[in-house]
Amino acid sequence: MKNPLIKRIPKELVAEWHKYAVIVIFMVLMIGVVSGMYVGHDSLMASINAGPEEFNLEDGCFELKKKASQELLDDLGKGEMADVRQYFIDKGIKEADGEVAKAIDDNLNEEVTQAIEDGVREQCKAYGITDEQMIKEQIDTALEDNLEDAIEEARKSEDFKKAVEDAYNEAHEEVIKAVDEEWDEIVKRYDLDEESFISVPITIYDHFYREEAEDNNNDGIKDATIRIFKSDSAIDKAAFNAGRAPETDTEIAIDRMHASNAGVEIGDTIRVGNKKFEIVGLLSYVNYLTLHESNTDLMFDSFGFDVAMLTPAGFDTLTSRVHYEYAYKYEEKTEDKIALADMGSRFLKSLITQTLVYDNEIEDFLPEYLRQASNFAPSDIDGDSTTTAVLCYILIAVIAFIFAITINNTIEKEASVIGTLRASGYSKGELIVHYMSMPVIVTLIGAALGNVLGYTAFRNLMVSLYYESYSLPPCGLVWSKTALIKTTIIPLILMFLINLIVIVKKLQLSPLRFLRHDLTTSKRSKARRIPAWSFMKRFRLRILFQNIPNYIVLVFGVIFIELMICFAFGLPDSLNNYADKASEMMFAEYQYMLMGSKDSDNEVIETSEETAERFSAKTLLYPRNNDVSKMRAFGSGKDESITVYGIADNSSYITLGAEGAYISSAFSKKYGLGAGDEISLHEEYENKSYSFDIAGVVDYEGGLAVFMDRNSFNERFDMDEDDFSGYFSRNEIKDIDEEYIATVITADDMAKVTVQLMHSFGAVIDVFKYVLVVLAAALIYLLAKIIIEKNEHSISMVKILGFLNGEIGSLYILPTAIVVIIFAVAGFAVGYSLMIYLFKVIMLQMDGYFMFYMKPESMVLSVVYLLIGYAFVSVIDYFRIKKIPMDVALKNVE
Amino acid sequence: MYVEVSNVKKSYGEGGSYVEVLKGVSVGVERGEMCVIQGTSGSGKSTLLNCIGGLDDIDSGSCKVDGLEIAGLKKDKLSDYRRDTLGFIFQFYNLVPNLTVRENIEVCRYLTKDPLDMDELLDTLGLKEHADKFPSQLSGGQQQRTAIARALIKNPKLLLCDEPTGALDSKTSRDILILLEKINEKYGTTMLIVTHNNSIKNMVHRVIFLKDGEIAKQYTNEKRVPARELEDL
Repeated sequence: MKNPLIKRIPKELVAEWHKYAVIVIFMVLMIGVVSGMYVGHDSLMASINAGPEEFNLEDGCFELKKKASQELLDDLGKGEMADVRQYFIDKGIKEADGEVAKAIDDNLNEEVTQAIEDGVREQCKAYGITDEQMIKEQIDTALEDNLEDAIEEARKSEDFKKAVEDAYNEAHEEVIKAVDEEWDEIVKRYDLDEESFISVPITIYDHFYREEAEDNNNDGIKDATIRIFKSDSAIDKAAFNAGRAPETDTEIAIDRMHASNAGVEIGDTIRVGNKKFEIVGLLSYVNYLTLHESNTDLMFDSFGFDVAMLTPAGFDTLTSRVHYEYAYKYEEKTEDKIALADMGSRFLKSLITQTLVYDNEIEDFLPEYLRQASNFAPSDIDGDSTTTAVLCYILIAVIAFIFAITINNTIEKEASVIGTLRASGYSKGELIVHYMSMPVIVTLIGAALGNVLGYTAFRNLMVSLYYESYSLPPCGLVWSKTALIKTTIIPLILMFLINLIVIVKKLQLSPLRFLRHDLTTSKRSKARRIPAWSFMKRFRLRILFQNIPNYIVLVFGVIFIELMICFAFGLPDSLNNYADKASEMMFAEYQYMLMGSKDSDNEVIETSEETAERFSAKTLLYPRNNDVSKMRAFGSGKDESITVYGIADNSSYITLGAEGAYISSAFSKKYGLGAGDEISLHEEYENKSYSFDIAGVVDYEGGLAVFMDRNSFNERFDMDEDDFSGYFSRNEIKDIDEEYIATVITADDMAKVTVQLMHSFGAVIDVFKYVLVVLAAALIYLLAKIIIEKNEHSISMVKILGFLNGEIGSLYILPTAIVVIIFAVAGFAVGYSLMIYLFKVIMLQMDGYFMFYMKPESMVLSVVYLLIGYAFVSVIDYFRIKKIPMDVALKNVE
Repeated sequence: MYVEVSNVKKSYGEGGSYVEVLKGVSVGVERGEMCVIQGTSGSGKSTLLNCIGGLDDIDSGSCKVDGLEIAGLKKDKLSDYRRDTLGFIFQFYNLVPNLTVRENIEVCRYLTKDPLDMDELLDTLGLKEHADKFPSQLSGGQQQRTAIARALIKNPKLLLCDEPTGALDSKTSRDILILLEKINEKYGTTMLIVTHNNSIKNMVHRVIFLKDGEIAKQYTNEKRVPARELEDL
């Protein structure tokens, strides 16, 4: 025979439907969102993970200043280090040989000339000619007639040959000696001291690109920078979300995300450089899942940056300079990050030494595992799922505790029934199963509905959220066992365990104690002393003490929700704050970085712009102290990129104090540095470090930078006195040829991070805020309901005694209100501090700096939002109290 | 008459479940009288008490306390009436579990501007040493004494007691009845006591027997037996 207690369960569900409805909705939403997140995650990741093989993703790439010779490519392919010593010796000998040959020629010429002159003077003397004018004429004639022959004859002499040989030998020895003397420094500089260098054979692919201005609406104004690759590239291919690859030189395929942001579609015409192209495809490059223009960008920019594909013929019609980028793949395959890091560093040595000996220069080097554009999206998708799952567990634990408190309350209410059942022969186990069934059933309903939504509506929502931010390839629906485990099995276990512990503990008491309603486990012989306040205050305090477990869960929930609200308000505030201050953050409206200080005619690049001011700049790295395992969490994973500026004396853009190095306030805040500290920055591709004693901090939030006067800069970095890297300017410089300009930084570039983030999160954040209010209200509703249920009898009694509903409301609602208000404020303080800390931790892993900021009104609203949620609950509570009949106390026959 | 109930009718339910609990009951109790309402289960004694206490409304008839017509009063007026006039004592005490003895008594002290002296009351009821205990830490008798103290602190003109000794042993019952007797003598409190106990009728001024919702018998005790001498409690 079935346990007759089972019949109570549907009745209980019907009687308390509103409570269970809130819990089920709560769980369905949480589980649905997390399940959708996982299913979306697994679907996207399946598609992303298939990409490297399907679209031949590189293992890394490098850009050279000039097109690499076939010999250089061949040697790089072998992955061996070049013989740098021999290169320096050969280079030295070549230079020395030229100098020696010139010295010998000069010397021979001088000696033969002198010998001829001496001979003519001897002859003139013998003939008694003393007129100096005549003698000089004779010498000139003799030189004209005999010099070449005499030099030729002298060259044939054994003495001369020996002298020449000696001179060359001596020069060569000097060169070798000089190289050897400087070898230690060279070894250190290029990190060549590895005893047994293991070669890294690679296959190299041309991956040249051009960068042009993109004009989406053909209004003649640049809308974005577009990076164009050729359609016949054998590496880093693209998936097509819509349309096809270009087939004629007037067709173009562009990034889907950028097209969506720019409002262009297949069939539209855009201007790239000076040429118009018709969009025939929307693509997702396997190495540009996020549109990071530079690997050191704080955030990708799918508004201001685009990647595109042209036919080789179309590519050749463009006029901007070609970036000689080469992609490579290791011959040896590995997925291991440490092995990849090792291979990357070994290949870099090969690259540095080979480009050195072939007289080329590295413009950029980026192993794929550090590439933000291909790793940011998967890391973020992974991180989001983990974060959401943790949030889900916290909420499920909160619900489990609410359940536990409710059941505790029910057990107390039904003490005599339980006592009677136990006395009649029901086992403890049977009662445990009975009281456990409700939370388990509700969790199962929540999990089942949540999973259904997770595979349908929420999955589509989650996937579309990512498609709104990232340039992802198309994806299908994938069955996710992680979703099942994390959204169904773990919450069930969590709910089961928490409730089991509470119920088992409660049912430990003897049947007699249940019959006597003696369920207190407190050993206190007297009540807790409370201050001599007015009776009503003391009554409220007692209610507060009575419901401490409820309030602990409530406080926990309130703090958790405040943390979320701080994030919901703080992120847009921080972004807006950054965007608002972007123009203030720039010390110059325009910052032009030049390819070099001289043009192709070796003339200094000048401008007629009156506000232009020269500066020197160099990018160095500040050690981040990250280990390899953290590299893919956020950011490029490399050491922090620091721009060192050399500023002109009496600069109208940056005012420096006394001599020394000054750091930007962003640098100071991010790493806690200040005046008096010493920092060491190092070169990216050379093992060379520079120490700086910080003399002060310059108020500049726009980037991590070191400032010093230009003379000191040029001296420190072995540059010529007049050398410079670019111009600061208040107005646009129009008289410098574009081919000499490497980059231009304006306030818009500073703000692009905020535009991107607002686009990615803006709408979601607003929804998130309201969800949190509902969540807060639901949580407080459940706990407040328990408090009132628990005191239903007392409330009924005080009604009998003549208390008014308002007075009773103030007794039973006010303690909760006080707790909610105090902990909404305290929770805000905790949430705010935690967000600042979390932001800092994240920023330390990312490139650049971004400060967490909340507007004062947002701070107030963070608390007010929660209180609005609570206000609704307190109105419901008031009516609930009002509805409690007096016969609850009168009917009490226990 | 201090309490004047005239032809009060009260029914519950509809159709098949319709029950007429009071079928035109009329009773009167003088100020300062102790009155017992007796009857079998379902006779309507608790319903009558609840109607007088303003906890339940009546279908018809009149119910006046100190000249105030209870029937038809709005909820807030009924609250004022209970607050100003009544004290309640129940069989199962109905104490607020999270308040101490003193605080439970304060629940009613709060409702009046002219309360009795708390310490004196605690002393009188033998609760002084238990004042800071919670109800769960007390015996049944102590809890009922607390309930009595709670009812008395506001010095009510009318004390309504629904089976005040129903959950107590005979010794404790006697103590409680002695206490009620003392209070009646000391403060002149009018008391209506609903009880099953047959002995209690001997200590009060007036006895009312209800049977099937009607007054079966009512009389005034010519010779009252002091509570301490009651037998078979």
